[in-house]
Amino acid sequence: MNLRVTLLVVALVVVSFAALALGPVPVDARELWRVVTGGADPVARAIVLDVRAPRVALALLVGAALGMSGGVLQGALRNPLAEPWLLGVSGGAAVGAVLAMSAGLGDPSFLSLAAFAGALAAVFLVLGIARASGLRADPRVLLMAGVVVGAFANAAIMVLLATAPAEAARGALWWMMGSLGSAQWRDVARLGVVLAVVGPALLHWARDLDALALGHDAAAALGVAPEATSRRLYLAASLLAAATVAAVGLVGFVGLLVPHMARSLVGARHRAVLAVSALAGSTLVVGADLAARTARAPAELPLGAVTAMVGVPFFLSLLRRMR
Amino acid sequence: MAVVLACTPASDDRPALDDAGDPLPPPATRSRIVSLSPATTEILFALGAGPRVVGRTTWDLWPVEARQVPDLGNGIRPSIETVIGARPDLVVLYASNENRDAARAFRAANIAVITLRINQIAEFERATTLLGDAVGEPQRARMVVDSVRATLERVRAATAGRERPTVFMLSWETPLMTIGSGSFLSELVEIAGGRNVFADQAAPSPQVTFEEVLRRDPRFILGGPVTASKLGTNERWRLLPAVREGRVLIMDTLLVGRPGVRLGEAAVSLARLIHPGSIP
Repeated sequence: MNLRVTLLVVALVVVSFAALALGPVPVDARELWRVVTGGADPVARAIVLDVRAPRVALALLVGAALGMSGGVLQGALRNPLAEPWLLGVSGGAAVGAVLAMSAGLGDPSFLSLAAFAGALAAVFLVLGIARASGLRADPRVLLMAGVVVGAFANAAIMVLLATAPAEAARGALWWMMGSLGSAQWRDVARLGVVLAVVGPALLHWARDLDALALGHDAAAALGVAPEATSRRLYLAASLLAAATVAAVGLVGFVGLLVPHMARSLVGARHRAVLAVSALAGSTLVVGADLAARTARAPAELPLGAVTAMVGVPFFLSLLRRMR
Repeated sequence: MAVVLACTPASDDRPALDDAGDPLPPPATRSRIVSLSPATTEILFALGAGPRVVGRTTWDLWPVEARQVPDLGNGIRPSIETVIGARPDLVVLYASNENRDAARAFRAANIAVITLRINQIAEFERATTLLGDAVGEPQRARMVVDSVRATLERVRAATAGRERPTVFMLSWETPLMTIGSGSFLSELVEIAGGRNVFADQAAPSPQVTFEEVLRRDPRFILGGPVTASKLGTNERWRLLPAVREGRVLIMDTLLVGRPGVRLGEAAVSLARLIHPGSIP
């Protein structure tokens, strides 16, 4: 544990409290205290406990899930560009959601189901292609299959959107930019369950990731079957990403950026990388959501755009240091 | 058209659901109303409930007094905490799937919600009646509906018996979009003595191809000042006889574009464009 990780924890706590207190409707510290202890104005109480608290909680989970998912994929595929969105998850989810919307089935609860189903379909398609390719265990096959499935999904989305009614098209666009604007405790519970199951499993498998990082033959020599292991890890990481998509739509860049940041803080051991990725992902998404709803209040900016805008300069500075 | 008007629910046989399929809130005194669509804001002001409106969308610019009301965003996917922060006891939402979560959140915060879709004149009448009941002004709601209906009838009478030219309404250029029979604008064109050249399309805003517009060869092109005014210099658009021969009609989109209490006024302005001299 080093000082920088401690600072990250402090940052997460600070930004989470800020996200509860700040927003289009200001709630000062004294009022926030009364919300917790009782006696607060009912409107302030509703805003903090029923609107902002589920939002912050969901942001924490989304950030942690995407951070870990990206960390696992980069390790399992031994590619620094691997992230759930590059590997077909987002494309599949978006096709599911856009199909539902253009069929007039845009009710939010059905939408998340359709997105989840689409993401899983894409994941299994990628695994199927990789398996059918008959190539030796090669992470590049999974990566290419993911990219191709993603490209096909994009084309399908464009076909669907070109003929969809204007309202469905706008809804789809919004959905593809991600938003925590309608977070409810129900969403927090669903994603929480998935993260509680998959998260510890990924931490448990972190040692396999360390072995894979040594290369195909070295991993095999250490008793880790490279092909089966990377498929299993790909599946678990994609499941986590699919669950976040179902909850909040597409929030890009977190899965790509955060693991790099984690490695720059704690080195290459995957257990630490994944834990810090979860922390850093949470901090980034809570902060980005705070910016999304305050920067141009009362309008809300799309969360996915904010994470990218915050993330890109940061990523570039990381790249400079890596050189 | 008369059938559509005649089908408006009578005040004693009101449906119990709003346009999102949710039950209508029980009648109560509403003292703080947030209205998140331009048409419903117009209606609330016409019902005399303007002083009780404490929030509107960015686009609700009529009547002028509405501009004094705080702007709470664009009305689709509203910021939930901003709306709750305005402390409303009634929120009127536009019927879009994107607003379903917001409706749920407001109900959870014990705020009454009415979701309304206004694409057609009959839906405007229904919305006015429902809002009249919701804010305790049923008499006034009937007056508004009756006066709009009377103006529309006056326009219909003034253009009756005249030849009915075909009209292509250009609502968007890329992609090319027009109005179908599901839109109040199509109804207004018919009342004003024209024939919507795409009335066979049921959707309110269908996408059409330029070739199809050429094939149907409308007598008039009707559009807003921004899009329609530059058609005359566009090579492709000049393929249409209506454009070459200067039969492009420019309408006031702020007046005609909204299914609100100025529907009658909108019909008058369209009749003046399509049949100059029909209405003094």
